[in-house]
Amino acid sequence: MKIGVIKAYILKELTELVRSRFIIMVYLMPSMILFLFGYGIRMEVTHARTLILDNDQSPISHQLVSKFEHSKYFDVTLSSVSEDEALRRIKRGESDLIIIIPESFEKRLLHAQPTQIGVYVDAAFPSRGVTMENYVKGVVLDAASSVAPGLAKGIIQINQRSLFNQAMRDEDAIVPGLIGLVLLVAPAILAALLIVKEKERGTMFNFYASPVAKAEFLSAKMIPVFLLHSVNIFIVFLWAVYLFEVPFRGSFLLYWIASEFYIIISLSIGMLISIITRTQIVAVVLTVIITIIPGFLYSGIIMPISSMIGMSRVEAHIFPVMYYNHILYDVFLVGEGLASAKTQGYLAILALYGAGLLTLGSLLLRKELK
Amino acid sequence: MGTLKIDRVTVRHKEKVSIKNVSFEAEKGEIIGFIGADGAGKSSLMHAIAGVIAFEGEVRFDQHAYRSPKEAEGVKSLISLMPQGIGLVLYDLLTVDEHLRFFADIRNVPQDEAYHTYKTRLLKMAGLEKFREFRAGNLSGGMMQKLSLICSLLHRPKLLILDEPTTGVDPMSRIELWEILDQIRREEGTIALVSTAYMEEAARMDRVLLFDEGEIIAQGSAKELIESVREMTYLRTPEAPEGTITTLERSYSLLPLSAEHAEPTLESLFFVNALRTNRAPPPVEITRRDSEENGNPVLMEAYSLTKMFGPFVANDRIDLQLKRGEIVGLLGANGAGKTTFIKMLLGLHSIDGGELKLFGRAIRNTDDRQALKASIGYVSQHFALYNDMTIRENLLYFAAMRQIPIDTALKRISRYASELGFSNYLDSVPTELPLGINQRFSLAAALLHEPAVLFLDEPTSGVDAIARSQFWELLSALKEKWGIAILITTHYMSEAEFCDRVVLLREGGKVADDTVANLYALHPDARTFEDIFREYYR
Amino acid sequence: MTKIFWAIVGKELIAFIRSWQLVFVVLYAFSVEVYIAGSGIEINPRNVAVGYVDLTGGGMSQKILTRLHAPEFLPPKRFDSQQQLSRAIFNKEIIIGIVFNADFEKNWRGGKRTQLDVLVDATAASQAYTTLGYLQNIVLDLSGVNLLLEIASHKLFNPNADNHTFMALTEMLSIITMLTVILTAVVFVREKEQGTWDIMLLMPVDPKLIILAKSFSQVIIVMVGIVISLGFVVFGMFETPMNGSFAAFMVLSFFYVFATAGIGLFIAAVARDVMQVAQLSIIIMMPMIFLSGAWTPIHAMHPLLQLLSYASPLRYYIEGSESIFYRGTQWGDLWPYFLGVTAVGGVMYAMGFRKIGRLF
Repeated sequence: MKIGVIKAYILKELTELVRSRFIIMVYLMPSMILFLFGYGIRMEVTHARTLILDNDQSPISHQLVSKFEHSKYFDVTLSSVSEDEALRRIKRGESDLIIIIPESFEKRLLHAQPTQIGVYVDAAFPSRGVTMENYVKGVVLDAASSVAPGLAKGIIQINQRSLFNQAMRDEDAIVPGLIGLVLLVAPAILAALLIVKEKERGTMFNFYASPVAKAEFLSAKMIPVFLLHSVNIFIVFLWAVYLFEVPFRGSFLLYWIASEFYIIISLSIGMLISIITRTQIVAVVLTVIITIIPGFLYSGIIMPISSMIGMSRVEAHIFPVMYYNHILYDVFLVGEGLASAKTQGYLAILALYGAGLLTLGSLLLRKELK
Repeated sequence: MGTLKIDRVTVRHKEKVSIKNVSFEAEKGEIIGFIGADGAGKSSLMHAIAGVIAFEGEVRFDQHAYRSPKEAEGVKSLISLMPQGIGLVLYDLLTVDEHLRFFADIRNVPQDEAYHTYKTRLLKMAGLEKFREFRAGNLSGGMMQKLSLICSLLHRPKLLILDEPTTGVDPMSRIELWEILDQIRREEGTIALVSTAYMEEAARMDRVLLFDEGEIIAQGSAKELIESVREMTYLRTPEAPEGTITTLERSYSLLPLSAEHAEPTLESLFFVNALRTNRAPPPVEITRRDSEENGNPVLMEAYSLTKMFGPFVANDRIDLQLKRGEIVGLLGANGAGKTTFIKMLLGLHSIDGGELKLFGRAIRNTDDRQALKASIGYVSQHFALYNDMTIRENLLYFAAMRQIPIDTALKRISRYASELGFSNYLDSVPTELPLGINQRFSLAAALLHEPAVLFLDEPTSGVDAIARSQFWELLSALKEKWGIAILITTHYMSEAEFCDRVVLLREGGKVADDTVANLYALHPDARTFEDIFREYYR
Repeated sequence: MTKIFWAIVGKELIAFIRSWQLVFVVLYAFSVEVYIAGSGIEINPRNVAVGYVDLTGGGMSQKILTRLHAPEFLPPKRFDSQQQLSRAIFNKEIIIGIVFNADFEKNWRGGKRTQLDVLVDATAASQAYTTLGYLQNIVLDLSGVNLLLEIASHKLFNPNADNHTFMALTEMLSIITMLTVILTAVVFVREKEQGTWDIMLLMPVDPKLIILAKSFSQVIIVMVGIVISLGFVVFGMFETPMNGSFAAFMVLSFFYVFATAGIGLFIAAVARDVMQVAQLSIIIMMPMIFLSGAWTPIHAMHPLLQLLSYASPLRYYIEGSESIFYRGTQWGDLWPYFLGVTAVGGVMYAMGFRKIGRLF
């Protein structure tokens, strides 16, 4: 290894990154995604646009309606349109939910006759539909027990305790997962272009014809990406802890080391793509396809890996996101650190993963014209 | 430092054999010229010797013998390769200075006093001292070439492989380059392998190898080679019998002609070889155009055109007229503003001052140009072809854009293909072809719609002798039969003599605008046009 | 004019097909990626790993546990202590832990206030929410209380709350967006890089026509991808309902893809090389996709982001597509989506024309 050669290449890469303004991308993108998604993604369904048709207009029905109005989950519009018109509104996507309180609702309740509240949920987005349905049940139940306290007897109450995220804050659940996403996408896309760009342009000749060794060339290509994104490890950490106020209970050292491994992996993915592709466009499309969506799907933000089946389960285990995110959730929310055998194992997997990709890359890189 | 020995080297590209069993040797300090038609395999052999492509056979240099790129690794520190293509090895975003530092670093050159002196000399030679802070992407094509060249000289290689290093480089710089080469080989004993399309350069080399279809068909000193074709070279005889090639300057025939013999040049080798292998290009024939163009004889008038790039004045108040049936040569050193000027005429650059009239119409905005586009043809310096389509498809595509009926287009394509000699390449992709061949397609593309005005930016750079002579025949036929007006830039000073009028630019300003004959009259000492050119650049 | 238009379109299609790597990647995205997302990703409770600690002697606790069955739940796993259970939750082996305290059975039988302790791994928030709701229903049902008040709930458009079709569709829409933006941007920026764009500008053709034709060629590629994806995956594998008009969806898709190609054009107009295209398209695309309502409800987002989402054509497309597929919305009611998509696209093309579509 000739240090001077590597230094020269690194200097060249950095100069190009700064002049092509790609450097903005390096530091803007991860933070931007963290902001947008951290504020944007809410798993909890709130503000469901609710249309209530109160056909009874009695004290009890009003009481029920006000329960809905006081819930953050519903944005209530009272209306007296016909049922058909209400359904049409759902069809046009103007409402998410319709609640129909029947005539003589109060009268029947007082006379201990059974009565029925009609609920229509837009389940086009299925999980949202199910969640809304459950909320409605909860509110009605709550209303019922406050109207007739005797009812609450004999009901088993669920006393829920959330581990690791007592407040059930969405930020706590999402932001660590997002770190796993941005540190996958950003280094990969940068690394993906570095080699194929030279192939397409012709500057690859400088490598072919010079005594620069393959290992030197690869290190020179990867070190700038690695260093630049290493800074991001700290930046995203600061955003998570100070802006989104996600607790940090684990060891910072573990976070740091795991993140460095992870960055090596993601930039190796990019570099591999760069080596096997012939044009920049293919490299960009391929990187986007295999990082952005899997990075999101397998981050654990949307669903736990343990609930996946079939191909997704396999794919989830192939992608490094799952392993890294486990460690992320640990250091942020749990704090068990290396005491857990699973964390140790995952850290080892990350290290091996990185080493494997690097080896593969140097095997595939050719130092001659095709 | 030892010798270079090439032993039965064969290079294949997929199924095609580019170089067949070639052997030759070179001594310390020797400069060997590679000449030959475009696509003859010169580049492939250079790649093999530089160890950047797989090959069969063996190369031996300075105790090392290698049979594959991997084995060549050990000598790469002694070798330098400058591949063909304008600015191919440069990074657009890096400045000239940064390139020098980068190339010195990857070659492990200690940056001491001696290095700095050497570097300054190289920069001066290349005329780049003033452009040290410029980014490579903003340099002109010729300047890029010179930069690539000095980058490949930085580590004082023992084996220098230059693939058409002077394509697009102005005459002054070429002279300086050769001085440097000469000096390096004397001081360092460097062996230089140089391919070139400029025969004046080939004449300066110790030995010249003539390539044809993957083989070396002749070698020797330039003088010996020239002597070998003296017999077949005659003064221009337009009415010569079958089996004669007639260019604008000479005629060649294997059978004796009744005409007088002319002084042969290295170019003559190409023509004689074409005759020997029965590959003489068809004579250029232009049929009269259906619609005669009449009206205003002045097709383009530029008054005091000015272009600024920031504080840098690229074109300084240039006046120029272009009349029907006139070929105007726009000459100047690299970076003198030729390309900028043409781009301004075309509307690819905004005009920062002055006035432009095309076909008698003042040009103020894009709408003024819309109607005139059909009458204009353009070949850019970095010939622009689509790399993912074959040449035929490229040409058909351009024809479709010009709304030329398909059968007419096919007819014209096959005519240009045989006249400019690229019939064999119609189904290849541009990236697989040598520079010179691609340049011919760009020309054909610009001629397809039979324009009234042609703007040609270095159309013949890197094109071999036969194709260039065919090209000029074509231009002069177009001018005479169709009354087409042509503005052309070139670095072949011999080509300037084919122009009706020559305009010389220097540092963005116009320094001469006259006929070739008048210029000779003004400079009675000049023997060639190159001498006149040098007068203006002293 | 139309001949030139088709010549350009044809040329771009040939160029696309010649790059087998690119064809492969695009096909992969439209088929395998959509399939994987649709088959495996489940937002509803499924295979939820439940662990429990039962300190009662059985009875009610067993009744509850038997209700936790496939496909929503994996067979509940017994733990001896709450500590072991927590540890398993930490290791992501268990998502929901139920603790039946010693007095659980007694209280319930005695008609006293009964509490069931549930431990939730809240790092898997979305599943935790839905699972809790599910559990609530089971327990309520088992309590056997006659509430008098019945909730007649109807899940419209997707009565089984089938998530596969939805995920496959969402994934497809995301892929459409990504590919359209990048493919179009690269088509233009490559011409700029290779210098062919200058030549095109000098052709006796209105540059607007060239720009539209080039965009259109990429629209065709993506539309073919959509058909493949719909035929083989969305309908072929997942039996997605089509309550509205298929034609309406195709027309809306066409409008959307064309508008999104405009974003690609805009990116190419301001970018200098493929490197910058990559950077700009990711910065524009990721928010576009994830904040469009595809993965997360728009109405729960920060108000500022909700406002921003109006600028994303994907928002209209997703709402429109969901409406067509699930809600069965008719042509007449779809105009807001068409309008939104067209407006955004129009602005993009106008900017693109200005920036690269003219000579000086």
